Amino acid sequence: MSVLHRETRHMLFTVAPGALCIFVFLVLPSVYLVGMAFLTNGPYGLPTLPLSLQSFRELAGFGFLGWSPGNLYTLIRSVWQTLLATALVILLAYPAAYYISTRPARWRPLMLLVIVVPSWTNQVIRSVGWMNIFAPGTPVSDFAALLGLTAPQMGLFPSQFAVIVGLVYNFLPFMVLPLYAAFERLDTEQVEAAKDLFASPMAVFRHAVFPQTLPGLMAGTVLVAIPAFGMYVVTELLGGGKATMIGNLVARQFAQASNWPLGAAGAIIMIAVTLIGLKVLRDLGRRLSGDREVVL
Amino acid sequence: MRSVRLDYALRVFWGLLLVFLYAPLAVVVFFSFNSINSSARFAGFSLQWYERLFRNEAIVSALMNTVVLALASTLIAVVIGGLLGYGFYRYRLGRLSWLVWLIYLPVIMPDIVFGIAEMTFFVAINERLGILSPGLGTMVIAHVTFQVPFVALLVNARLLSLDPQLFEACHDLYAAPWQRARFFLLPVLRPAILSSFLLALTLSIDDFVISFFTAGPQSTTLPIYIWSAIKKGVTPEVNAIATLMIGSVLLVALFSLLAQHGSSGGKQSKGGTKA
Amino acid sequence: MTHRRIGVTAMAVALAAGAGQAAAQFEGETLSLFNWSQYMDPAIIEGFEDEYGVEVVENYFNSNGEMFAKLQAGGVSQYDIIVPSNYYVPRLVESGLVQPLDHDRLPNLDHLMDTFIDPDFDPGNEYSVAYQWGTTGLVYDRDELGDMPASWSVLFDPAVNPEAPFALPEDAQVTLGAACAWLGHGYDCTGREALEEAARLVLETKQRDNFAGFIQGTPVLQQLVRGSVAAGMTFNGDYLFYKSEDPEGFENIEYVIPEEGAEIWVDNMMIPAEAPNPELAHAFIDYILRADVGAQLSNWNYYSSPNAAALPMLDEVLQQPPITPTDAEMESLTFIPSLKGDNLQFLQQVWREVESR
Repeated sequence: MSVLHRETRHMLFTVAPGALCIFVFLVLPSVYLVGMAFLTNGPYGLPTLPLSLQSFRELAGFGFLGWSPGNLYTLIRSVWQTLLATALVILLAYPAAYYISTRPARWRPLMLLVIVVPSWTNQVIRSVGWMNIFAPGTPVSDFAALLGLTAPQMGLFPSQFAVIVGLVYNFLPFMVLPLYAAFERLDTEQVEAAKDLFASPMAVFRHAVFPQTLPGLMAGTVLVAIPAFGMYVVTELLGGGKATMIGNLVARQFAQASNWPLGAAGAIIMIAVTLIGLKVLRDLGRRLSGDREVVL
Repeated sequence: MRSVRLDYALRVFWGLLLVFLYAPLAVVVFFSFNSINSSARFAGFSLQWYERLFRNEAIVSALMNTVVLALASTLIAVVIGGLLGYGFYRYRLGRLSWLVWLIYLPVIMPDIVFGIAEMTFFVAINERLGILSPGLGTMVIAHVTFQVPFVALLVNARLLSLDPQLFEACHDLYAAPWQRARFFLLPVLRPAILSSFLLALTLSIDDFVISFFTAGPQSTTLPIYIWSAIKKGVTPEVNAIATLMIGSVLLVALFSLLAQHGSSGGKQSKGGTKA
Repeated sequence: MTHRRIGVTAMAVALAAGAGQAAAQFEGETLSLFNWSQYMDPAIIEGFEDEYGVEVVENYFNSNGEMFAKLQAGGVSQYDIIVPSNYYVPRLVESGLVQPLDHDRLPNLDHLMDTFIDPDFDPGNEYSVAYQWGTTGLVYDRDELGDMPASWSVLFDPAVNPEAPFALPEDAQVTLGAACAWLGHGYDCTGREALEEAARLVLETKQRDNFAGFIQGTPVLQQLVRGSVAAGMTFNGDYLFYKSEDPEGFENIEYVIPEEGAEIWVDNMMIPAEAPNPELAHAFIDYILRADVGAQLSNWNYYSSPNAAALPMLDEVLQQPPITPTDAEMESLTFIPSLKGDNLQFLQQVWREVESR
């Protein structure tokens, strides 16, 4: 048995099962789904020949009513809710990550674990938790009504507010972990030097802390924004049809309304927007860090 | 010098953050012990919902399905993903380097797209070949597929952090590949394998969307059961099922904490859901 | 409830004694039933399991759309029995998702009332056998809203209900039907202009502060009794079922047939095209068609029986409103039309617009 032969055999033995698994059960299904988007919707929702762009036209809003903006609203709402949730996550995660990095080293793993554990419970269960808290008649909802934030008798859920809280809750750990890693590596001498240079803490943050934590921030933004944009569970359970995102639109074509080609076209748009988002983040990261490669 | 005031503010912030993180879970657990059917008013302590739970055949079988799905998919994924992570390390310069991109595909793909792609694919295969009809089997396949990349990445990262000379030394020391695997690779990879096992397990437990779209009539899991039950409003029964799942996750967390302490080389596992 | 349980037990014993010989052929097999939730007496399932030595696996859906989608997603080869409403029967037949029934295996078929034999939506009962029938109406909480008119205005007119939370079902034809009726086009409207106007109304309604979301007919009752909504749409039998379970909670929850018109429907047992066990499915349909089982079913789920032979054994409560509608109500009740082709696509587009804004 030649050496080369054995090497190839070993490589096949180690790489093939995993690669095949991903290829057969992810790449092929994705290709199949993409192809489906270019078929025609049959009379009862299943894809049929001939090839057409009908589902993309429908997705763009062209139908029996002429042009209507519903799907466009959904897309814009998805992007907006993703941005809002990501911004809120950043606001919460920065101080949290910083605080953890200032604690004694032996406490830090435990503190990180405490942040991460809720995200290990099932997505549905996390939403059930917020449903419990935001339902009509609970102290939190009554308090909100007292402040005039909600109509009397109405709970805080279902609402767009509940959806945003759900999104923040779901993805907070993904921002804290990379930010913490960045804070842990923080060059304190630079920060001290900046403190001598600048009077205001804001300026110190801007010139010394922020640039150093930027890679962590960018990584966290990718980890938060991508799944938030594709969210299905939180919007479905906490939104009550008022904060529908594109994931819900896509899922409905397979779970309720039966229009597979339209759902497939929506899935393509989701992936396209995700990739565009990654590109934008990458460019943004480069600009912010002065042309240094930051992430990805 | 950090100002005392900032430190105090951060302490308060940390406390509030913990409330934010744990209040939803605590409320679920709390109301699962309610003696009346309400999640707004607590009338007294009772275990009646748990008793009902274990008398309900559908819930018990959903519990079984959840456990089988999580363990089976995790074990398979750790083996396949571990081999893949090693393979990429060992043969990274070969003609197969483009395969690395395969790993990133499940990471950036939204759950919902992943789920429906699997579903439509399984349906198409089933129509033509009669295999892969929706059920526990298809769910395990789907879970393994999204777990494998994460396992491979963890194992690969651990290998990259090792001194390449170790491998050469090992090559000189042991002739047979199985000896190298048994006496060198497995021991050095133990922390990575352990943390990827925990990560894959939590990924599986956390998932709802992919399970939902690949499940069949006899493979309902607890999250899917809850999903259809909460359309009627959150009941103490739903909270009781959720409490069981929260409890099991806390056990996993405890276990991972112990595992960290046990193995000095084990770094903090990057936990969380599939991105 | 107790005397009913005793009756059920006695019936089961009597049945077990008489049956057994024809049943042996299915020993150890499994029947997969896909049904609406809260629609099947567990004692009937047990009776069938005991008599035939089989196991019945039940799965539930909350809307016809959900059921249809599940069949397309592989369910067509996994379920043995499905229970769609009348307006989904032609859709299922034409999309090839169901198989013709073998009438030789259904000797009890002639127990059906004349109305349900040879229905418009399935000539000659080629594919379907009626399971139960009922109405979809307005349900509201008198504690919250006071006495309300028997009108869809409770849901669609902000002046009638300015504050209390209310819900609508996430079912295109049902919700748009109610909106159509309130607008004066009739519950069974199909014209594009009427549907478009109805969709606009639902959209406006959805923007109101006190709209609590889309909740289906069975779940909404639980939310009503828990106080999270004060009005919605539901089915007459489910209403009475929950009321009998919790008379106190439902004391002030009213079910009415709005005068602008409402839906009368019939749910039907059908066998998916590639059902794993069509023989056992036929046996199950015939079992449900038995006079005593038909009566037991209606007495349990509070819906009207299409089974003429079962009528003498029905509880008294089933003979009066809201289960048996009054003659005047009957006048205003209509079947939802079955849509296909462009009309169906149009409806779905209009509804998608409602959902996405």
